[in-house]
Amino acid sequence: MPAFLAAYDFLLVSMVLAAVLALSLYLPLMAGQLSLASPGFYALGGYIAAIISTKVFPPAAGLYPVPLVLLEMAVAAVASGVLGVIVGVPALRLRGIFLALATIAFVEILRVISLNLDVTGGAIGIFGVPQPFASQIHYMSLAIPLLVLCMLFAARLERSRTGRALVALREDELAADAMGVNPTRYKVLAFTVGAMIAGVVGALSAHFINTWNSRQGTFDTGVSLMAFVLIGGSRTFVGPVVGGLVLTALPEALRGIADVGGLPGWLAQFLRDGRLIIFGVMIALGTVFFPHGLITPALLERLGRGRRHRVEAA
Amino acid sequence: MSSSLLLQQVLNGLAIGSVYAIFALGYTLIFSILRIINFTHGAIFTLGAYATYALTGARFGFNGLLANAALPLHLPFVLALIGGALFAAVSGVIVERLAFRPLRTRGSDPLLTLVSSLGVAVALVNVIQYLFGAEAYSYPADPFGQLPSAMNFGTSTEPVLVRTVQVIIFGVSMVVLALLTVLMNATRTGKALRAVAEDTVTASLLGINTDRLILLTFVISGFLGGVSGTLIGLSVGIAGPYFGIAFGLKGLAVIVLGGLGDIPGAVVGGLLIGLAESFVPAQYIAYREAVPFALLFVVLLLRPQGLLGRAVVQKV
Repeated sequence: MPAFLAAYDFLLVSMVLAAVLALSLYLPLMAGQLSLASPGFYALGGYIAAIISTKVFPPAAGLYPVPLVLLEMAVAAVASGVLGVIVGVPALRLRGIFLALATIAFVEILRVISLNLDVTGGAIGIFGVPQPFASQIHYMSLAIPLLVLCMLFAARLERSRTGRALVALREDELAADAMGVNPTRYKVLAFTVGAMIAGVVGALSAHFINTWNSRQGTFDTGVSLMAFVLIGGSRTFVGPVVGGLVLTALPEALRGIADVGGLPGWLAQFLRDGRLIIFGVMIALGTVFFPHGLITPALLERLGRGRRHRVEAA
Repeated sequence: MSSSLLLQQVLNGLAIGSVYAIFALGYTLIFSILRIINFTHGAIFTLGAYATYALTGARFGFNGLLANAALPLHLPFVLALIGGALFAAVSGVIVERLAFRPLRTRGSDPLLTLVSSLGVAVALVNVIQYLFGAEAYSYPADPFGQLPSAMNFGTSTEPVLVRTVQVIIFGVSMVVLALLTVLMNATRTGKALRAVAEDTVTASLLGINTDRLILLTFVISGFLGGVSGTLIGLSVGIAGPYFGIAFGLKGLAVIVLGGLGDIPGAVVGGLLIGLAESFVPAQYIAYREAVPFALLFVVLLLRPQGLLGRAVVQKV
């Protein structure tokens, strides 16, 4: 087990962070809003952490203090939340395709700005973000609690009045509005919480990957996140979490299969390098055959009932 | 700004804007009929540029599965351009079959169609990268024979120099635009297309074969995407398979500015964005890439129906 953890430490932490990030895209989608803004807030959070840890607190010998990482995550959450409200209030009057387009524009604008500011290091970005842990696997001590916290939040949300209001908006905005659900208020709420989550993940990721530049958190990231949510499942919070974990591990798994041998050369080569081709095809097929994703509330209920039967039988 | 510099900026803006216009027409034609945004349009753009490159007989690079491959023919550039655009048109049809028709027959949410087209776009671009690598390519020098590198639109004392390539791009775009205008306004097919765009169900009740026209729309759209890919490749080179995705995102700004599904709007929007980009002051040139998106954001917030569009009243 320790050998496994050591060999796959980077992948394991990436999987957990991807699952949290997928939740940030899932929240607005609960209210039926396809927003691709998460990568923008993720990038913002990363820059905040990278700037605080390299420029505000002068580098010292030894490990970077973990409380400071937590502070950066809090600052990233607040900054993303504020920006989320500023962008969300006007943008969420838009529906469907228009909102998706506005959020794509938002991410592109942030990217160009970060590419040109001095404080973000321009095209080179910020190198040498200090490490709070001696080994990468120790990032789990922050990533796992973050994932659990976000999952608990999402689980509670789905059973609350607010969660039901969001689902009502997704199913029929006009009817929900007529029933007294304030569409803009709830949509901005879901969007802003999603933004805060993305910002926090960005802050942690900047330390984790040690460097931050304008290639982090772009349109491509948005496409990947969308794949996590839509293939995993867009009707329960379990979907994005499983999607983020599994699809992040998928390329490594494919590489593993390719390395086992016995496969024709071209197939092994494809499994190693064709990750994004497979991704794209999976997204396209998924929308046709599993419009609500692989993990649906009905499936979870069936699994839950199955377990209960076994418990009763025993 | 002197008047000659002003004129030069206007001409440059119109040249690049004319490509935005024909590219965006590809988006907007499909939107006008299916009410969906075809995210594969950027990938089709890349396909067109690469196909033209291959048809000129030029060699591919060292990376990718088809390293060092070259077609055994050397078409003149004009024929390669047309061939590349036809290849893109055929790809458009395949995309329609794979990404759009299955969802249409199931009556899926338009957002799902958008997602599906994103998936196909990612797959297409990465197939290109897998086959030909991620390096940049440029077309053979002097594709149109011995022409001066720049043309003077001013006087000898006050020159207004515009790159010849820009002039060619503008010319080709105008020819394509003229053909499309004739097709849409002066033929029975164009009339049928407009009828389908207005109301698909009524059009089919009137005996118009909507499925065939949808296919035709994808052919035209793919052709427009392919031509624009080659033209931009001619102007700034092919910066790897992803350059179409970046251009595709800019094209979204054009169609939103002009009004989604609005054909004259796409042309006006394209020219406006080309001009806006060319008038970014030199000291802010690094922010030029953000101009289309800033415009997109502002237009969406202030006038979501676009500059020329009509407001849509939601019916209950």
